[in-house]
Amino acid sequence: MENLEVKILQADSLEALEKVRIELFGKKGVLAAEFAKMKDIPGPEKKAFAEGLNKQKAALQATFDSRYEALKAEEIEKVLKSEAIDVSLYGTLAQKGALHPVMETMDKIIDYFVALNFSVESGNMVEDDFHNFEALNLPKYHPARDMQDTFYFKDGGLLRTHTSPVQIRTMLKEKPPIRMIAPGSVFRRDYDVTHTPMFHQVEGLVVDEKGKISFANLKAILTDFLQYMFGDVDVRFRPSFFPFTEPSAEVDISCIFCDGEGCRVCSHTGWIEILGCGIVDPNVFKAVGYEDVSGYAFGLGVERIAMLVHKIPDLRSLFEGDIRLLEQFR
Amino acid sequence: MIVTRSWLNEFIDLSGVSNETLYETFNAIGLEVDSMEEVKIPEKVVVGKILSCEKHPDADKLNVCQIDVGSQKLQIVCGAANVVDAEYVAVATIGAVLPGDFKIKHAKLRGVESAGMVCAASELGLPDMGKGIMILDESIGMLEVGRELGSYEKVADTIIELELTANRGDCLSIYGVARDLSAALNIEMKPFEVKLEERMKLGIARKADLHTKGEMDADLCYKLARVEKSASSFLIKLRLAMVKVEASCALEELLAYATHATGVILRMYSCASLCEPEDEKVIVSVEAYAKGIIHVYANGKHVSIVGVNQVAKTKPTDESNEVLIEASYIHPDLLSEAVASLDVEKDELFYKTSRGSNGDLTFGLTYLSYLMETYTKSECYEGALEVEVEREQMKILVDANEISSIIGMDVDLGKIATVLQKLGFEITAMNDHQLATKVPLFRHDIKNIQDIAEEIVRIIGINNIPAKPLVFAEKKRLNATSDRYKAKKALRNRAVGIGFYENVSYVFSERATLEQYGFEVTKDALELANPIAEELNTLRSTLLTNQLLAVKRNVSYTKKSIPLFEIGAVFDAERNQSERMVFVFAGQVEVESIKNAGKPPLIDFATFTQKLGAVIGHFELVPCTQKNGLIHPYQSADIVKDDKVCGFISKLHPTVQEAYGIPVTFIAEVELEALMPKHINAKPISNFQGVYKDLSIVIDKSMNYYEVVKVLNGLDLPMLKESYPIDVYTDEKLGDKKSLTIRFFIQSMEKTLKEKDIEEVMQKIIEALASECGAELR
Repeated sequence: MENLEVKILQADSLEALEKVRIELFGKKGVLAAEFAKMKDIPGPEKKAFAEGLNKQKAALQATFDSRYEALKAEEIEKVLKSEAIDVSLYGTLAQKGALHPVMETMDKIIDYFVALNFSVESGNMVEDDFHNFEALNLPKYHPARDMQDTFYFKDGGLLRTHTSPVQIRTMLKEKPPIRMIAPGSVFRRDYDVTHTPMFHQVEGLVVDEKGKISFANLKAILTDFLQYMFGDVDVRFRPSFFPFTEPSAEVDISCIFCDGEGCRVCSHTGWIEILGCGIVDPNVFKAVGYEDVSGYAFGLGVERIAMLVHKIPDLRSLFEGDIRLLEQFR
Repeated sequence: MIVTRSWLNEFIDLSGVSNETLYETFNAIGLEVDSMEEVKIPEKVVVGKILSCEKHPDADKLNVCQIDVGSQKLQIVCGAANVVDAEYVAVATIGAVLPGDFKIKHAKLRGVESAGMVCAASELGLPDMGKGIMILDESIGMLEVGRELGSYEKVADTIIELELTANRGDCLSIYGVARDLSAALNIEMKPFEVKLEERMKLGIARKADLHTKGEMDADLCYKLARVEKSASSFLIKLRLAMVKVEASCALEELLAYATHATGVILRMYSCASLCEPEDEKVIVSVEAYAKGIIHVYANGKHVSIVGVNQVAKTKPTDESNEVLIEASYIHPDLLSEAVASLDVEKDELFYKTSRGSNGDLTFGLTYLSYLMETYTKSECYEGALEVEVEREQMKILVDANEISSIIGMDVDLGKIATVLQKLGFEITAMNDHQLATKVPLFRHDIKNIQDIAEEIVRIIGINNIPAKPLVFAEKKRLNATSDRYKAKKALRNRAVGIGFYENVSYVFSERATLEQYGFEVTKDALELANPIAEELNTLRSTLLTNQLLAVKRNVSYTKKSIPLFEIGAVFDAERNQSERMVFVFAGQVEVESIKNAGKPPLIDFATFTQKLGAVIGHFELVPCTQKNGLIHPYQSADIVKDDKVCGFISKLHPTVQEAYGIPVTFIAEVELEALMPKHINAKPISNFQGVYKDLSIVIDKSMNYYEVVKVLNGLDLPMLKESYPIDVYTDEKLGDKKSLTIRFFIQSMEKTLKEKDIEEVMQKIIEALASECGAELR
């Protein structure tokens, strides 16, 4: 019986092992022959004989099983090896496009305000004087109109110079309380290294009953927003002037390039101007027929934020579909 | 607006205020600092007194000067022509290092020893003060020979450029800026006092008269002066150079200086230009031309429009010996509105008058008279000719609680009163929580309580206001716009996933290009009136032309595979706005790689369609009905979604491809509206086995599969669940026919199909195709 075990161990392929299996465990195999001897064994010894034989059979089966596993593993390994390729050749096949950094930044801004339960509002790009200027406390000949070189149409229409007309239209359509943002394209007649005739803004407006909304609220939300966009930066508010808000402020963040030490990007001031905001001017509320309300508003330029966040040097390259720029954002 | 520290110091004592504090204060009160430059005069540049000045023996243009610099007398050769007029000058002595690392050493100029250099302003890092060397005088302080020039505060000044917002006309003067600082730093303004000598006893009425015509809306005040000599001072010239104000003669220098200092609009007319020799008097006639437009005439001649301009030849010159001085104030809103509808030339003062000038005319005139008396030895005739307008001063009731609620922190009424007073507001009444205030003329921008709140915020500092989160009522704020935004974001992400790059282009196009390719253009009457450039002279009616330009640029950047998409606005002829999604794919389908053995295929109709479907979902393609010059007539289709045509797909017409110099390109433009997610109801699913059946038919080569689809769709066969083409085959034997293999999926909702049921369905299909499409079985 010992050489039976040797036979199992010597089988060097699954085919050879199968032959051994038939020889040993088959109907006409060695074990079957041994068990056949049982009928000639006298009664009292039968039990001991059978036990001995079963033990031997179990031992052989165990040897066989382990040999089978080993040969099977060898065989699979052979197949696997034959399928080997140089995977490192294929890394360059991964192909994906990219979102535009300005649009992606806009998404991120919208996500923040939607999470704070702001509604998203939109409007037409072609606007009229009332919604773009008059209602925003920018009467004709107001010197502040100089700040916004406007595209006009022959019929007196204009391309909106900011997304603020959306605020006016929303207020005319809905009753307070209002809590909205208006993302979108805006237009100024200006074209040089730092200006493009079209760019993107997100404006925000919150209106509630009189006495409820204060400058302190504006500080809270904008500080939190800017830290969400830029990480751990200092936020500074400076008084400023916008016809549609009063008091008004410009908001700066500590320079993200030099940590406020002073560098070329921040003109050595340590601060970067990032958005404008203020308490809504009563004349704006008057224009839309709101009474006894208070509110704040803010507006920010998406390109500027995108350029800062991603350190994009050239504004104009953002409008050229330049894949050399875009593919960096895959 | 540019100010200098020492000039501000004339009106407010800044001796205890560092430049850092000044910088921070300006920013904190809304006068944004654009730049702040501390003038550094190099060491060893000292005050020198010219003892003698002789022509250089060997050079016409050089002078040899003997100069006392206190510790010694130096011989210095000087090339500036004006050195002959100079007494005190700035001398760079041996060892001084001037800007640009220019070291002063002993030198020999054409054989003459020179031990230093007489300096011009720009050589010392000061602003350019014109040709020649600086001629110093005591306007900068007592001149001590040998004293370091850098120790004169008025020379080594700090120049501060402020960016003013459009409402702050009151800060367009040194005095106005000082007043804001006074409130912010809590430092009292210095009282302005000058003693004018009353040398002239002659009254102005003897030499001048004033007449008015029409309703006056400007304040005017005229004085007449005799000028002995035309001169100003070194300090005046230096400061004007520092604040970048130009003046063409000494009198103009004084005028510009006084205006910049006080903010009062001052003009000067040379009497010689107003009067004929026989005129004994200057007759000033002020006439209201229209609301806000006041014309000034002198002796019948038009000389100026108040706040707007002045006839050039009436301006003073170095030869003027008698001048008429005018101070004026007109409300900026009135003026701006009037001038906007008038085609008139506006001079440099209009910037100030349209933003609000100082209405304290006496202050301006006194300041100017003092300068003229000091430097030009002028004598003013006694009295003045005046026009004064009755104006109702704006009054505002200020409630401390209201201010506190706007700002979001408690502000004490006493603090409000102090701030307002410092800013020049008059407090007329006050109780324990309210005060009444009169707004000064120079703050025409203050009209209501929120304007007052802004002043308080500025002065107490926004950074001292605590941030408080707003508590807001819960309410659902998701709307159609946010749904649309989310859908767009999903589309964009899918496009990116399949390899497209997102493009953002201007909503402008070139009208000629749109017309050339047969796209809609804005009606002429609605067209842009002031486009910024020829190639951006209209609103786009398609997103495609901008993409082709982007493809062209990318080709020039040697990109070989150019997949772009954009979601953006387009405008029809009536200028109605809608949104579309556009796709272009130019060149290779993918980059060269192991997979394609370095030879990637070019984009083709099937691949492009597949990619499009991965972004915009299931659609059908039917023969193209769209007409434009970009479409390839034989590789184009309308895109049908939900039974509606919503766009088209096409190979780019080869002539356009050639015109743009780009590789094979496919284009598709789809209405965004059609891509918005739709509500879907599930259909019941059959529990019985279905079968696939293939059918090969022979039809005319020219027949589109679409014709077959129409026939199949018209059949009433509930068991026919699906059908799609799987092969097209042509060969010589088939001639002008083609073989088309279609796969059908047949399934019943009620039972397991028997061979007979399937046969029945297939038979009906075959019969219909035979009669409608002339199809034969292969």
